[in-house]
Amino acid sequence: MAEALLSLRINGESVHAAAPAHWTLLEVLRYRLDLIGSKQGCDKGDCGACTVQVDGEPVLACLTLACAAAGREVRTVEGLGWSPEASNGCHPLQDAFDRWDAAQCGFCTPGILMSAEALLRKVGRVVTRDEVREALAGNLCRCTGYTKIIDAVVDASEMLAAPRDET
Amino acid sequence: MPEQPGPEEDVGPVDGQVEAPVDGPVDGEAPESEPEPVRWQLGKSHRKVDAMERMRGITRYTDDIKLPGLLHCKILRSPHPHANILSIDVSRALAMPGVHAVLTGEDLPVPYGVIPWTPDETALACGKVCYVGDGVAAVAAIDEDTAIAACEAIDVEYEPLPAYYDPEEALAGDHKINPYAKRGNLSKDVVLEFGDVEASLEQADVVVEGEYYFEGTTHGAIEPHCAVAQVEPNGLLTVWSATQVSHYLHRELAKVLRRPAHTIRVIQPPLGGAFGGKSEPFDLEFCVALLAIRTQRPVKCLYTREEVFYSHRGRHPMRMRYKTGFRQDGTITGVSARTFIDGGAYSSFGLVTTYYSGQLLCAPYAFPAYRFHSTRAYTNKPACGPKRGHGSVQPRFAIEVQLDKAAVELGLDPIELRRRNDIGPDGMTVNEFKIGSNGFLECLARVEAASDWGRRATLPYGRGLGIAGSTYISGTNYPIYPNEMPQAAVQVCLDRSGRARVFSGANDIGQGSNTMLAVIVAQELGLELDDIRVLSADSDLCPVDLGAYSSRITLMVGGACLDAAQKLRRKVRAAVAKRWELPARRVTLIDRKAMDLEDPSRSVSIVEAFQWAEADHGLLGEVGNYNTPKDRHGSYRGGTIGASPAYSFTAHVAEVEVDPDTGVVEVKHIWVAHDCGTALSRRIVEGQMEGSAYMGFGEALMERHDVDPGHNGVHIGPSLLDYRMPTFLDTPELHALIVEAPDAQGPYGAKEAGEGPLHPSIPAIANAIYDAVGVRLDSLPFAPPRVLTAIDDRLALEHAGELPTFKLGRGRAGLASARAAGGVA
Amino acid sequence: MLRLPQFGVALPSNVDAVVALLRDNPGARIVAGGTDILPNLKHRLDEPGMLISLAQVSELRSIAKLAHEGREVVEIGAGNTLTRVSEDPLVRELFPSLATAAGLVASPLIRNMGTLGGNVNLDTRCRYVNQTKFWREALGGGCLKSEGNVCFVVPGGRNCVAAMSSDCVPVLISLGAEIVLAGPEGQRVVPAAKYFKADGLRHTVRDDAELTTKLRVPVPTTPRRSAYAKWTVRKSIDFPLVSVALRFDLKSDSVDAPVTELVVVAGVLGAKPRVIAKLDDVIGKPLSDPALSRIVCAAVGKQCKPLENVPYEAPYRRRMFEVFTRRAIAELVAAG
Repeated sequence: MAEALLSLRINGESVHAAAPAHWTLLEVLRYRLDLIGSKQGCDKGDCGACTVQVDGEPVLACLTLACAAAGREVRTVEGLGWSPEASNGCHPLQDAFDRWDAAQCGFCTPGILMSAEALLRKVGRVVTRDEVREALAGNLCRCTGYTKIIDAVVDASEMLAAPRDET
Repeated sequence: MPEQPGPEEDVGPVDGQVEAPVDGPVDGEAPESEPEPVRWQLGKSHRKVDAMERMRGITRYTDDIKLPGLLHCKILRSPHPHANILSIDVSRALAMPGVHAVLTGEDLPVPYGVIPWTPDETALACGKVCYVGDGVAAVAAIDEDTAIAACEAIDVEYEPLPAYYDPEEALAGDHKINPYAKRGNLSKDVVLEFGDVEASLEQADVVVEGEYYFEGTTHGAIEPHCAVAQVEPNGLLTVWSATQVSHYLHRELAKVLRRPAHTIRVIQPPLGGAFGGKSEPFDLEFCVALLAIRTQRPVKCLYTREEVFYSHRGRHPMRMRYKTGFRQDGTITGVSARTFIDGGAYSSFGLVTTYYSGQLLCAPYAFPAYRFHSTRAYTNKPACGPKRGHGSVQPRFAIEVQLDKAAVELGLDPIELRRRNDIGPDGMTVNEFKIGSNGFLECLARVEAASDWGRRATLPYGRGLGIAGSTYISGTNYPIYPNEMPQAAVQVCLDRSGRARVFSGANDIGQGSNTMLAVIVAQELGLELDDIRVLSADSDLCPVDLGAYSSRITLMVGGACLDAAQKLRRKVRAAVAKRWELPARRVTLIDRKAMDLEDPSRSVSIVEAFQWAEADHGLLGEVGNYNTPKDRHGSYRGGTIGASPAYSFTAHVAEVEVDPDTGVVEVKHIWVAHDCGTALSRRIVEGQMEGSAYMGFGEALMERHDVDPGHNGVHIGPSLLDYRMPTFLDTPELHALIVEAPDAQGPYGAKEAGEGPLHPSIPAIANAIYDAVGVRLDSLPFAPPRVLTAIDDRLALEHAGELPTFKLGRGRAGLASARAAGGVA
Repeated sequence: MLRLPQFGVALPSNVDAVVALLRDNPGARIVAGGTDILPNLKHRLDEPGMLISLAQVSELRSIAKLAHEGREVVEIGAGNTLTRVSEDPLVRELFPSLATAAGLVASPLIRNMGTLGGNVNLDTRCRYVNQTKFWREALGGGCLKSEGNVCFVVPGGRNCVAAMSSDCVPVLISLGAEIVLAGPEGQRVVPAAKYFKADGLRHTVRDDAELTTKLRVPVPTTPRRSAYAKWTVRKSIDFPLVSVALRFDLKSDSVDAPVTELVVVAGVLGAKPRVIAKLDDVIGKPLSDPALSRIVCAAVGKQCKPLENVPYEAPYRRRMFEVFTRRAIAELVAAG
């Protein structure tokens, strides 16, 4: 089938890939660009494992046409590691998830991180547990019962807020 | 202490060995400075060894494998619940551009089954299909779209047959669903009796009778099943699969493909959840393997979410009729159970499930007499199998509600009633299983205190607390296929740079078994967790392990790993002791150092210690084994099934709010206390407990895996939209309370934590609903219409004076007016 | 992976271009957020040769209060995401029930993608339709709305009764909103109350060649209380199973003031939302009058007849329409 050349902005860089027009952003990320962090779980927007950010908002890559993402800033879990908040390639959220053992199988985690990062950025202060629940309500996790994830997101928001409080 | 050089000093040649070359550093040369102390501690919270790469999006799960020339496989599935296949014509599909090969049942005719006694399925249907979704043909093509188009071009002529969706109807039916069934549609029948049950019920002061129905549920791992196969240039067939039992997959691949096991390599890449749903071979693994052989190209198959539902192997629906006798003081006199099990189209683990439905019930409560009769039938549904808490979550629901009913009838506190029946440690169950450590009483005490159970007496109408307890196995004493080899084996190597390698066949499915192995090695050798590389679940690199099922890995593989690590520890200590001229018992390995226990200022870096040991013993590698005790099971036919080296114990208290106008049950809190023996990694254990409580909660309230008998047996909703797994907003506050009753069988006393903590979820919620509104929900799930009907029925009986007003005066006034306003009698 | 059918994608940058593309490509479908159409295409409920993406049509994303034909209205561009609608200060202030409904659609991720225009035009849903093509084949070959010609909800039925499942639609009707369409003949304005038809196959009056460009919602001219009540099994992700929008205009700004006008609209029944009739007795009664609640609830209970087109038993859902209506009114009264 005919493939179109896509010019995308991904994690702050211009990226080009050829893909059929009916491919989703998720397919292009995973199978053309080898950005495998975004996962395929449910096929159609029911689980959130494919969550990426488009222009800063967390969205479902499995229901985003790749060609419709052209001209917009796409951010994937791979890009978290080189965000300004990151140190040693690790975003404070990733560090908090690691300390809290908030990832069990880790399959939903990249999507959850992208939703959580958007929340922390939007709120810009320490988040409440209920705010985390609301913001992550489109991301399913089958392993954790969510408890440690909420712990980790709140913890990360405290870590991010701490240096600001000092200054 | 000039004779004991510190780590900053040059060690120099020892025992006349050749000096290291002076022109450059060598591997493992002594570090310049004091080694950094380790940051982790056994039993405390610490990071997992492989979580960060998962969170960075680097980890390659099966679907992330990229191979040159990769072909894509799709499987054509049966739209009929039960039909003979009259003909299959693949010629149109084969002629399509981009199609490389097509398989049908005749290409893979060898029957298999994860339980060697019940090989009753084939990779693709041979002659007939048994449920909607049964695999019929498989295509390999250049991409998925082409493969799907090719599947649509396969012409299959079916002759539909009558279908059965109810086990009791299937048993009475004329049409045999599974051709391998011995008799009609009977899959397995087990009757076992211990003591005189009839007499025990006659002697009882109170006999509680109940019928319970557990509708099916499925695992819902977020990663769909996926497999990739490739033939190596030397002819070796490599299969990567999202499986939790790579060894059983290896065996069945050899059997079905009719090639020796040594020509097959099975690799389990990091796994995106399993919960029992990936614990046996599936059609996709055989199909990609044979397609790779046929096409000589790598082939991948990724299930759609719908296919995951058809593959299923989830919790069996069970209809359970229970009679339980009690004395006035609440002690159990006897239990009688009759259970019909809906197996679906194939056996899967069904033989074991049938035993487990009765065998795993004989603790944490002692009872002198017990009979169970469990019958598993084939039906025209996706095959059921093991889901977290295999075979025993369903009967646990029944018996724990029975106990609650008895407590009400006897006027006893339900926690007290459970306490009075506690079987205790080091005893024997009525079915002759030997119990080791038992922390059940502490579990009860912990949830009682944490939930502030005393307030139960004054909670208003609509709010309630419920208790339930349970036990589970830490692996089974006997493997699935009889053999004399160890139940678990691990190989550990030390590197002269101060690192360790663990080779293990165990499947880390997200539960953290790789971390558990690192913890044991690090503990024994005084290392940081990052110093250890765990290589797991690759049949070419790792020793065989039986897989991640029956909660066996911590106890068994951990035990084997401890064995190997202790051997290495002895060697390292001996080498240090020799140089320090001390008895070895004075040397310990801690904080990346070897240290004199009586003079802690005397130490040497672990790097040097390893090098000394390697100098003395040669390359530092040891194997470790674990074998189960063979004296802890029953001496009757089936008496080994369900027997375990050690048992975990759990208690839950659930707090619910029941809306009497809508029947909506909201679970506010679940306190889960779990005796895991010893917690090696605190947060990981808590995570297992929270995840278990969550999963049980979802099953209790909203998850439904069933087919629609009125519409050709189609699944009622094979998607994550229709199969409602609780979201962040639905999930109650989960409170994990770790209880530690170390067991001599487990490494450092550890028992299981992955499955046991699920069991009481459902009955604790059921009992809390009763406590809230006075109605019994004996059928799952506790969906709002069902709860509302039960409330209506009770109110009608109260109104007629046939039942007392439940929680009279505690918030009932509002209810009456609400009902009146709603116009409902 | 469940695949999308093959299609071409057009990326016009303004409404005129969209309309031209629709005119020139019969059968082409519009994709805005994609959260409704793409799952439906993955289920092969349609196989259009072309999708016209609104991703670059920025003119559809304004929200503004303005005077229109002598009255104040708020125009909400159809391309605004549901998140934006739910958070917009103007919407929250003037149309709190709309903000509530938009904020209750599915999940945060879907609200970040899905648009108000998309939610208004959300395809009708049915348990026998919104499954894969394979599933429908197993069912016996689909139904009126897919490949077949039977109805599984109403045996023998000739009309598709798939359920209007939008959260925002009942609210928009209750608020007297108008739907603005752009088509080859120019602009057309349809009251939301007249936009829907009792035909699950084509449940709106929008022509295939028309694009929904904006929603025009009249600013209240009297004190008002409005609410949206939704029941689903999960608190996120799910479509509504019970859905009621209520609006009460009051003589003065108090729940004890007489009601001067009211509109109650129920969704998730058949293909058409139901505007509850025969509520005239309520006019003049204070919102806080228990008799008002009784009358409204009785009418809802009598007129809302759910079908087995979506999950959960119809008799239960029918009862819940009443319960949720009663509670919504009670909450408005309690809030003062």
